[in-house]
Amino acid sequence: MKAKTVKPRVMTGNGAAAYAAMLCRPEVVASYPITPQTEVVEQLSAFKADGVLDAEMVEVEGENSAMNIVCAASIAGARVFTATSSYGLVYMYDTLLQTAGFRAPVVMVNVNRETPGIQAVSAGQQDMISTRDSGWIQIIVENDQEIIDQIIMAYRIAEDFNIQLPIMVNYDGYYLSYLAEAVQIPDQTDVDAFLAPLKKQPQRPRLVPGEARGCGTHGMEMGYVEARYKHCMALDRVKNHVDKIDKEFGEYFGRSYGGQIEEYKCADADIVIVASGSAAGTARTVIDSKRAEGLKVGLVKLRLFRPFPEERLAQALKGKKAIGVIDRSVSFGWKTGPMCTEIKSLCSKIGPVPILSYIDGLANLDINIPHIGRVIDEVAVAAKGKPYQEVTWIPMEEER
Amino acid sequence: MVIKHKNIFETESCWSNADKQMLCLDTGGWRTERPVLDQTKCNYCGLCCLYCPPQCMLDKGDHYEANLAFCKGCGICAHECPRGALTMVPEGEFGNEG
Ligand code: SF4
Ligand code: SF4
Repeated sequence: MKAKTVKPRVMTGNGAAAYAAMLCRPEVVASYPITPQTEVVEQLSAFKADGVLDAEMVEVEGENSAMNIVCAASIAGARVFTATSSYGLVYMYDTLLQTAGFRAPVVMVNVNRETPGIQAVSAGQQDMISTRDSGWIQIIVENDQEIIDQIIMAYRIAEDFNIQLPIMVNYDGYYLSYLAEAVQIPDQTDVDAFLAPLKKQPQRPRLVPGEARGCGTHGMEMGYVEARYKHCMALDRVKNHVDKIDKEFGEYFGRSYGGQIEEYKCADADIVIVASGSAAGTARTVIDSKRAEGLKVGLVKLRLFRPFPEERLAQALKGKKAIGVIDRSVSFGWKTGPMCTEIKSLCSKIGPVPILSYIDGLANLDINIPHIGRVIDEVAVAAKGKPYQEVTWIPMEEER
Repeated sequence: MVIKHKNIFETESCWSNADKQMLCLDTGGWRTERPVLDQTKCNYCGLCCLYCPPQCMLDKGDHYEANLAFCKGCGICAHECPRGALTMVPEGEFGNEG
């Protein structure tokens, strides 16, 4: 570890996100307040007012403008930051796609919340899932410390000359946004040092006043195909890069998260549970108690969702007798949850084992210890070759 | 996969440098009618030039002329001209000169 030891401080997930963003020295910030993200914008404005954040803060009338501004600033060469959630994320949908198409390395926090349709002011990953094909890198974190660390790493991923893609750092609204935890805020000099390698890379193309350059307006026919192909290839490169940056971060700051996925007690496990976000923390304790009862169960915490960590997942899940996937969102048009559906596409690599889908934690409902315990028990039964239920909406099977 | 395509863009993102090669939409190819000016009616007010979406109007000193390489034939200039100096004429009447 090279970083200075710092005294822990207690702060909310939103406060942590704002702190991390500030430490990365963004030059342009444009963000519109929305529950449960508002505190991020408030805190950044306070930093600006206090003179500790030297960024151009653009006051916008909505998220669509916010994304247009950070995208344009990024194309002009600036380091940028924005944050949103739910309705805000879908209100910037067209500019979200545009930003990805322009390969603008925007770093955005998305505080996961349910989406429009049923006025859902509550936690859920549906917003992130609804934008999974936008061409952005999507990563999900579990606690306040990981919010800080992942935002810092996000710049090393997005702005890397070999990547040049926008990244969305996701954390559970309500659960993490308002949860106050002890965190270590890295020292400014250490963040500067960790981000310094970006300065040694070739400069990415940028708009320069008076120079006859353009970006993005000429994607017709083969221009379009070529741009899309390069975009997909870049996303594929993101996978190993996430692992590499995570490792480097660990060596520098003494904390690392497994990169694309975190494998917890998977090596000798017969069955594996896949979860993401704050639920992964709860899952770990249930894994421990089931292990104490003699059940060989492991946890895969899905961190990178776009690009989908196909290879790492296949490696972790290969040879397991059954798998249970907990989704905090739904996939309209599929019976199974979105993460489960995608994990099922690994069947040719991991074999035709039972993969059980669990929908839980929608709309602020808890993914609690009994729920995860039940998932493990049922997956263990399926592993013995007994019949199982393919999809379970846990709250729908409970009497309240 | 064997890639036979030769890259259009030098950069990873879809940037082009007009000093070397300007990659742009072939909006001229979309045109089915073009604006024709009656110069006796035109007072060089410039509204047609301001409103033209692809900004293809060339300033000729006493009137404006659509650059047919980019004029998409939308007719907005003719619609906006307060003096009725522009008429949209079907491309079929011009042969292949444009
Ligand atoms: S708007 Fe009409 S009058 Fe004005 S410059 Fe154009 S053609 Fe001439
Ligand atoms: S027809 Fe449309 S594109 Fe052509 S000169 Fe007029 S306004 Fe411009």
